[in-house]
Amino acid sequence: MSAVVELQNVTKDYGSGRGVFDVSMQVEKGEVFGFLGPNGAGKTVTMRNLMGFVKPGSGTASINGMDCFRDRAKIQRGLGYLPGEIAIMDEMTGHAFLEFMASMKGMRGRSRMRSLIERFELDPSRKIRKMSKGTKQKVGLVCAFMAQPAIVLLDEPTSGLDPLMQNRFVDLVLEEKERGATIMLSSHLFEEIEKTCDRVAFIRAGRIAAIERMDDVRTSRKRVFSITFASEAECGRYRAAHPKTHAIGSVVEVETTGVMDGFVKDLAGYDVVDMATREQTLEELFLHLYGAEVGGENHE
Amino acid sequence: MNKTLFGKELKANLFVSVVIAAVLAMYVTVIVSMFDPELGESLDLMMQSMPELFAAFGMATQGATLLDFMLNYLYGFLLVLFPFVLALIMINKLVVRPIDRGSMAYLLATPNSRAKIACTLAGVVVAVLALMMVFVTVLEIGSSEALFSGDLDTVGLLQTNAGLFGLWLLMAGICFLSACLFSSAGPALWVGGGLCILSFLIQMVSQVGDKFEFLKNATPLTLFDSYGLAAGDASAIGGAVILYVAGVALFVAGVAVFGKRDLAI
Repeated sequence: MSAVVELQNVTKDYGSGRGVFDVSMQVEKGEVFGFLGPNGAGKTVTMRNLMGFVKPGSGTASINGMDCFRDRAKIQRGLGYLPGEIAIMDEMTGHAFLEFMASMKGMRGRSRMRSLIERFELDPSRKIRKMSKGTKQKVGLVCAFMAQPAIVLLDEPTSGLDPLMQNRFVDLVLEEKERGATIMLSSHLFEEIEKTCDRVAFIRAGRIAAIERMDDVRTSRKRVFSITFASEAECGRYRAAHPKTHAIGSVVEVETTGVMDGFVKDLAGYDVVDMATREQTLEELFLHLYGAEVGGENHE
Repeated sequence: MNKTLFGKELKANLFVSVVIAAVLAMYVTVIVSMFDPELGESLDLMMQSMPELFAAFGMATQGATLLDFMLNYLYGFLLVLFPFVLALIMINKLVVRPIDRGSMAYLLATPNSRAKIACTLAGVVVAVLALMMVFVTVLEIGSSEALFSGDLDTVGLLQTNAGLFGLWLLMAGICFLSACLFSSAGPALWVGGGLCILSFLIQMVSQVGDKFEFLKNATPLTLFDSYGLAAGDASAIGGAVILYVAGVALFVAGVAVFGKRDLAI
């Protein structure tokens, strides 16, 4: 395996804590790499470094061994990119824009473009200015994938997409991975990274907190259950047996990890009215994985 | 130069160019049609009643010939201001807004170097201005021939227009460099645009009276000497050459800056 996308000690300081600091990571060929962090953590700044839009203050960013800032035009020959901000040339129709971009990229065929338009059920005949946020996002996604690039950089790819289209996006990423593409995508949602990525980097306040294999994260991740008991008394009985849980009225929140068996069998002894599960928030995940030290940095 | 981008941006700037062309067409034909010895006398009377106002707009020396008349009423203000406005609008649309709003990211996410993209965008501005110059020249000669056949010193007019294009290049170059230099939209547009507007104002003040005449040399506008160019004066031609050189240098500097800078897109 060889690194296709590589960042070595990249620092880009925008002052007052903004930017990225000493970021190092490698994305292997054919890998789907997730980049997870809250808003303003430095995901977009990292993407800008990789795209050659900004020059790192120190450290090096390279793609296929070429310097991201110096060789940016050459790198773009085999790269697809979706910007984090949807700012497509407003005055054009979706179709005119995609044709324009295809021509700028020097694309020959248009069949891939057409099949992507169908996949996302995009109506490209309207002016981009009149499109909804999600529709603009679809235009951006078609643009990023239509040249069948070997490397794809996606900055918050599913923002604005409805759940159905999010699933189509996930399918597309997995297909592209089959084809052999190397994909790096950033997100502030764990779920969309979870469904697609082999590895994930957690970024926080401009610094990489950890890089983990997705499988490892999945098993160590906690689930949170909200359990509604039939009565206050029943709730009290459960809490007496499990003092570490906390309750709001007759609803108790319980965190579990690993195998569910014990938790479910124990709960069977109580009168339960309703049970709902929710995913751990990114904040909770950070706290859980890296302790309060890392989790607290955001609250400065 | 990238043909696809050039074509797209030329089309995108067509509307504003046609509007400015229409405004200039109206002024050129109206001013040419106003050339009439008898009407000239009444204009003289008007000028004598408000000499400062006319002087401020560079309309102080109404000559006897048709070319002098045109130089007086068109070349001091109208044919300088409107092309500047056009250049500023185009540069805002081509460079300032795409960087500010982030759509420049799409252009740079193609295998085209920044230099190529910046050259293409600059090329669109220069090409539209060149077309405007051809349009104005043809219109001036056409309307003069139609109304006052044989009265126009065509060679003098062509010499003046060749120099005027240097001034347009310089103003566009200032705005282009400013657009490439600053990261936020306000300064990117108005440092360059403001410098040009300030130059206009200084020139207007310097033309009003002797007291402020020294200000004349404080702006690059003074390098464009329409009467001197019409007469073929060496110093006026030298001034025009400086305008061309400076204009091209500003565009080149803009392209270079654009290639090196950080883009927050």
